[in-house]
Amino acid sequence: MHDRLSFYYYRDSLLHRLNPLTKIALVFGLILVSFVSPYYWTSHLLVLVVIIPLIFVGRIGREYLNAALRIILPATAFLFVMQALFQPLEGEELFRLWFLHPTLESTLFAFRNAARVFAIASSFTIFLLTTHPRELMTDLTRRGMPPQIAYVIISTLQILPQMQAKAQTILAAQHSRGMDTQSTFLKRVGSLVPLVGPLVFGSLVEVEERAIAIEARGFTSSHVKTSLYDIPDTALDRALRWIFMGLAILSMALRIWLS
Amino acid sequence: MEVISQNIVYFIIAIAILVLLLVWAYVTRRMQKDFTTVTWVLIPVAIAINGVIGYIVGQLKLPVFLDSIGTVLVAALCGPWAGALTGALSNFVIGMLTNPTDWWPWIPVAFFIGLVAGLCANAGLFKSWWKVVVTGFLVALTAAIVSTPIAVYFFGGITSSGSSFITAYLLQTGRDIVGAVFSTNFLVEPIDKISTAMLAFAIVQGLSKRFLARFPRAENVQTEGGASRTQLFIAIGVVVLLILLAVFVVSRITGG
Repeated sequence: MHDRLSFYYYRDSLLHRLNPLTKIALVFGLILVSFVSPYYWTSHLLVLVVIIPLIFVGRIGREYLNAALRIILPATAFLFVMQALFQPLEGEELFRLWFLHPTLESTLFAFRNAARVFAIASSFTIFLLTTHPRELMTDLTRRGMPPQIAYVIISTLQILPQMQAKAQTILAAQHSRGMDTQSTFLKRVGSLVPLVGPLVFGSLVEVEERAIAIEARGFTSSHVKTSLYDIPDTALDRALRWIFMGLAILSMALRIWLS
Repeated sequence: MEVISQNIVYFIIAIAILVLLLVWAYVTRRMQKDFTTVTWVLIPVAIAINGVIGYIVGQLKLPVFLDSIGTVLVAALCGPWAGALTGALSNFVIGMLTNPTDWWPWIPVAFFIGLVAGLCANAGLFKSWWKVVVTGFLVALTAAIVSTPIAVYFFGGITSSGSSFITAYLLQTGRDIVGAVFSTNFLVEPIDKISTAMLAFAIVQGLSKRFLARFPRAENVQTEGGASRTQLFIAIGVVVLLILLAVFVVSRITGG
């Protein structure tokens, strides 16, 4: 569990070496451009010319494909079908089946929305696959984020899998002594309390001890702390951030100018 | 186009009010007082509670999310801003571990759930069972309002969650998209958020006074005149009535 926090996979690639802030700028730039751009095909184009090359640059093809097939594609496919069928847009009817009558307009609208969500979800996934949470937190703390927030995020990433394992143990234990977690609705509601109770109280009891422990290590001290990890921030990073910002501003200007 | 620009005006007003509140809380040092070491240590545990209870509820196949119990707990014990931070970071971290697309777009919703739950607790609405039901309802209303623009503008109205079928149905009956999404949220959220608030209250009841006294807003959860079983049953009765009412409304909509 120790080195498998979040989606991150270590590879030796340009994308992995980039500063975390540069990758955040890339994600935000992508979101902004795909939302404000006045052209219909922007999101589709972004997937082709940004997302797919990034996967090859980051050498995370297999991991990305895994995430895409498991999470992104089912969600976007559902989005596309539902919106094509139910968006109330008047226009040329494609076909009529019982009460379903998707129009050309609603299908086009759904196609653009699905492509946009696909592009944004992919950029999130690529960001998580190529950025170690520790690197992200160290870099953001160095740039002025309160170190307490870094503590919250990093320790949650450790506590959550532990508690999930504990929850599975409790679930299995209660199963073995015959608790009913499958049948009627009321029985399943009733089994919530014996499952949740031990877990929640057990974890809350640790809070007090941990507070004393980290207080003893100077948690609330306002002195600047030195970091073990040095996160490089090269000239390339700075140049890329300016380019992403420029592209976002350009697409906003285009939107205002063309409307 | 006119509707959109009007909505943007509302959006800017809401953001301005929020920023003013934030600055006010920061300048008067009300905010800093709430963020003690115990608060900072409670937040990760609360986020883990959010995630794990969400997981158990999924395993039991219950028709609710219950993924903000920890957020409401922090909001009640440590104040609105700690609650808001817990909500936002909760969605961020759980998205990081499982599926960013399902969690990251809803970060503002979780933020406001924590904020409103904390404000309710400050106003004394976290001291007996029926008041907790009111808190849950107010939180649900907030969640419905905040998630509507995200669903409409980010996902185009129909999201990838199961309640989209209700939205789709309402769209078929000829409602506009904002109305359909808001009605769906308003039908789904109260049951979820009232049970969330009641479970958080039940957890607080189970903790010792000595333990609770360590948190900066312990006085918010001091129960009035004993939280008796009768009160609990009355509160559950009210919730059941609310659920029946919701079912009735849904059947009226689907029937008509």
